[in-house]
Amino acid sequence: MKKDGLIYTVIVSILAAFLFVFLLSLAYGATKGKVEENQRLTEAKAYLTAAGVKVEEGVDVEQTFKSYFPKFKPKAAFQTTEVNGHSEVVSPFQGNGLWGTISGVIGMTADLKRIVGLEIVSHVETPGLGGRIDEPWFKDQFKGEYAENGIIVKHGAGGGDTDPDNGQVDGITGASRTSDAIQIIVNNQIDLLKKELGGTN
Amino acid sequence: MNDDSPVQILKNNIWYSNPIFIQILGICSTLAVTNNLTNTVIMTVGLIFVAAFTNLTVSLLKNLIPRKVRMILQTLIIAFYVIIVDILLRAYLPEVSKSLGPYVGLIITNCIIMGRAEAFAQSHGPLLSVWDGVTSGLGYMWVLMIIAFVRELMGFGTLFGITVLPSGFTPWTIMVMAPSAFFLLGTFIWVAKTIILKQKSSDMQPKGGK
Repeated sequence: MKKDGLIYTVIVSILAAFLFVFLLSLAYGATKGKVEENQRLTEAKAYLTAAGVKVEEGVDVEQTFKSYFPKFKPKAAFQTTEVNGHSEVVSPFQGNGLWGTISGVIGMTADLKRIVGLEIVSHVETPGLGGRIDEPWFKDQFKGEYAENGIIVKHGAGGGDTDPDNGQVDGITGASRTSDAIQIIVNNQIDLLKKELGGTN
Repeated sequence: MNDDSPVQILKNNIWYSNPIFIQILGICSTLAVTNNLTNTVIMTVGLIFVAAFTNLTVSLLKNLIPRKVRMILQTLIIAFYVIIVDILLRAYLPEVSKSLGPYVGLIITNCIIMGRAEAFAQSHGPLLSVWDGVTSGLGYMWVLMIIAFVRELMGFGTLFGITVLPSGFTPWTIMVMAPSAFFLLGTFIWVAKTIILKQKSSDMQPKGGK
């Protein structure tokens, strides 16, 4: 068969495409369980951190998770739990960042007056700029923040904001759009929780 | 001088025709990942892996591949190895995979890999091609590491995430952003070219002198 002929070219292309895609699907299948487990662990850790539970290195995450969320319902809008005698609402959130979806988990006191913790599960913001939303200093600002009327992510304001009672946290320098996105996402989530819990309060 | 000896290939890829500062390839990733040393190391190791295996595969298959479709098949092979790297990171190093995010997939578009596959693996044996892929990757790695070193130090005051500068240091935000890589790369090319030109002129003199 001629090597530059049409038939040879088509056959080689189809065979090559088939072979490589086949090998990829094998690799994907072989690691699927592991990837899903990683995903589950990341989410469980996020719920715990948002609820204010410290997850130490080497602790069995799933065991701890079960003890705090015995009646965990996947895909529910929020979960309730008790940490150190305080009842809390822990809720997964999602929203638009600058480049794509930001998803995470937020924990609030049961009366929705204060944020207990905030954890980012996934985002595709610019590394080193908006991507810093998953750094501890940013997330820690939300701990104990008064948020009954929503929060404000400040930018360009100069000095840092350490007051937990004014509902304001510092934005990220060079990432105003991501900071704004976080403000909108968190406030939407608080409104949603108010609606969901409205009947019981 | 034999251009195809393993030592000469190493010298060429690391210095005389370095993919970054002589061939100016793979610049997009140089701008994107170099604000952080950890990400840079992982990205460049990923690139070395993909370049080596792509060169090996292209070299093995070069007699089977019709000329008309060789570029598209090279792209297929590159994409194959990049997705393998992505899958492995996701399964075994989830933290790293999370912090690199979209950049692993971008190795596909790194011109160095396709450049080496087309310029070298198409016309050389499998073992030499692997060596060429590895050394090209190393040539890319050391330049990026230097740029990342400066950017992380000035931009965050840290190295590999460990704070090294005193807390009174004001981070240079520009170093975190992509434009600073242009300044640094430009300076780097200037220095490297100056050294190469000096080397050339000092090589010429003993031969040209009487």
